[in-house]
Amino acid sequence: MRDWTHGGLARGLLAATALIFLVAGLGLVAALFLGAWRFLGEPSALSNLFGDFWDPLRNRYGVLPFIVGSVVVTLGALVMAVPLALGVAVTLAEQRTAGMKDFAVRALTVLTAVPSVIFGWWGLQMVVPWVRARVGGPGFSLLAAGIVLALMVLPTFSLFFFQSLERVPQSLREGSAALGATPDQTLWRVAFRAAMPGLTNGLLVGVARALGETMAVQMVIGGQTALPSSLTSPGATLTTQIITDMTVFPPGTRGHAVLDIMALLLMLGMYVLVRLAERWGSVS
Amino acid sequence: MKRGMVWHRVAAVLFAIAAAGFALILGSVLWAGLPDLTWHFLASWPNERTGGGGILPELINTGVMVGLTLVITAPLGLAVAVYRREYRMRRAATLNHLRATLLSAPTIVVGLVVYRVAVGWWHWPVSLLTGCLALAVINWPFMVTVAGEALEGVPQGYREASLALGASRWQTIRRVVIPASLAQLVEGLGMAAARLAGESAALIVTAGVNVSRHWSFWAPGETLAVHIWYIRTEGLVLNRDAAAAATGVTLMVLIAVVLWLSRRIARWLE
Repeated sequence: MRDWTHGGLARGLLAATALIFLVAGLGLVAALFLGAWRFLGEPSALSNLFGDFWDPLRNRYGVLPFIVGSVVVTLGALVMAVPLALGVAVTLAEQRTAGMKDFAVRALTVLTAVPSVIFGWWGLQMVVPWVRARVGGPGFSLLAAGIVLALMVLPTFSLFFFQSLERVPQSLREGSAALGATPDQTLWRVAFRAAMPGLTNGLLVGVARALGETMAVQMVIGGQTALPSSLTSPGATLTTQIITDMTVFPPGTRGHAVLDIMALLLMLGMYVLVRLAERWGSVS
Repeated sequence: MKRGMVWHRVAAVLFAIAAAGFALILGSVLWAGLPDLTWHFLASWPNERTGGGGILPELINTGVMVGLTLVITAPLGLAVAVYRREYRMRRAATLNHLRATLLSAPTIVVGLVVYRVAVGWWHWPVSLLTGCLALAVINWPFMVTVAGEALEGVPQGYREASLALGASRWQTIRRVVIPASLAQLVEGLGMAAARLAGESAALIVTAGVNVSRHWSFWAPGETLAVHIWYIRTEGLVLNRDAAAAATGVTLMVLIAVVLWLSRRIARWLE
């Protein structure tokens, strides 16, 4: 009895909420499995699924073009954003005053909150016409999506990189300088190495954000379902194809089951990234 | 040039490029949007056929949906975080993996599942409330994360002192831990509001892209972010770039105000 007046009830409620959270989260994945089963249960589902041809009218549900699209766009964004973000982080970490650093963190945090449709709007306004002018074709392309996505994940990368550089003890830098290392040598051989877990963690968070982005990519990638032939040809990613085809295939159809499978692939990718971040990026 | 500073110069150049990129994005949105951002634009209804005109219902929808979602998910997220941090919980590692995975889940995947469950199984219409459900699923893991970080920021000594004075675990949570972390919780709430206001993918499939005059919780309705996407990709008005940009400026100002306010309140609480 005494236990109830001292928070036994509260504890029970908190435990129940945590349990509901677990059930809801696992239920989300279970609902995807339930939807995907209609297709996965068919004979030769996998060979159909991992074909490179998407033509639902002819019963061809190859999702390879979208996997390729997702990987290429994400990699393209990384190649552009990671060096820029490292530059931002290194420059900010050089700042001497705490006020400057505090301001930088606030500014980067605000920039991570800029909605993805804003980046999509800018992509349509500037990037797509630029690609069209430079290489011809429609302009809607994997390249345009990569550029837009690179700028979108740049604040996230910069923030994580900056914070992990800040966590490197000042004594390590001073020790390196005392041994006669130049600032560059200290940066490469001491600061980056000591900050590696944090940098890795930031990298994986940024990859997850890029892989899961939908609207900014959907607006500029063109939505072509064939396997893209080059960086400047239009394509589609797993996320953009889900939003494009959700209106085409209502729940219960085979096409919708394939969308569920694509969502499951994305969730699996996110889970792998989370586990990798735990293994390589544990910041302690 | 000072010896051994080459890479630092390279970093400074990269910094300048990144800053220029963002100045270009924000500048072009402001440049295109500001001329169209009039009082009339903010306070009138959009044209049902072309999508042009005002954005009053989008403003209302954004406020209502984000507000309702936060009211529901803030206590739920805090509860999960408190239980995980303050009590000895079994399966804490599983919960953490699930939280991190859901946190990075693409929002369109959440939209896909909410559409199947709410619209398909429960026969909810595509509406504001269905959109709120999707936002709640998106925001719950985020609230658990920010609340967990806020609780981590409370020194362990506070808890031990409270327990040593004879307070129960629940009294310690209520009287010591939560008040001590309140400032950070408020800031996290502001971040959540900003994140939800910018959400579009999940809402397009659960709350629809309706611009009609009919307003109800059970009727479809779009938020500012969805409206930007809608008029820029499907809209038919002549000045759709400018209208989308003006909506974008409104949305960004809204987000900036929310972040600034939450920061001010957090400062005051400290």
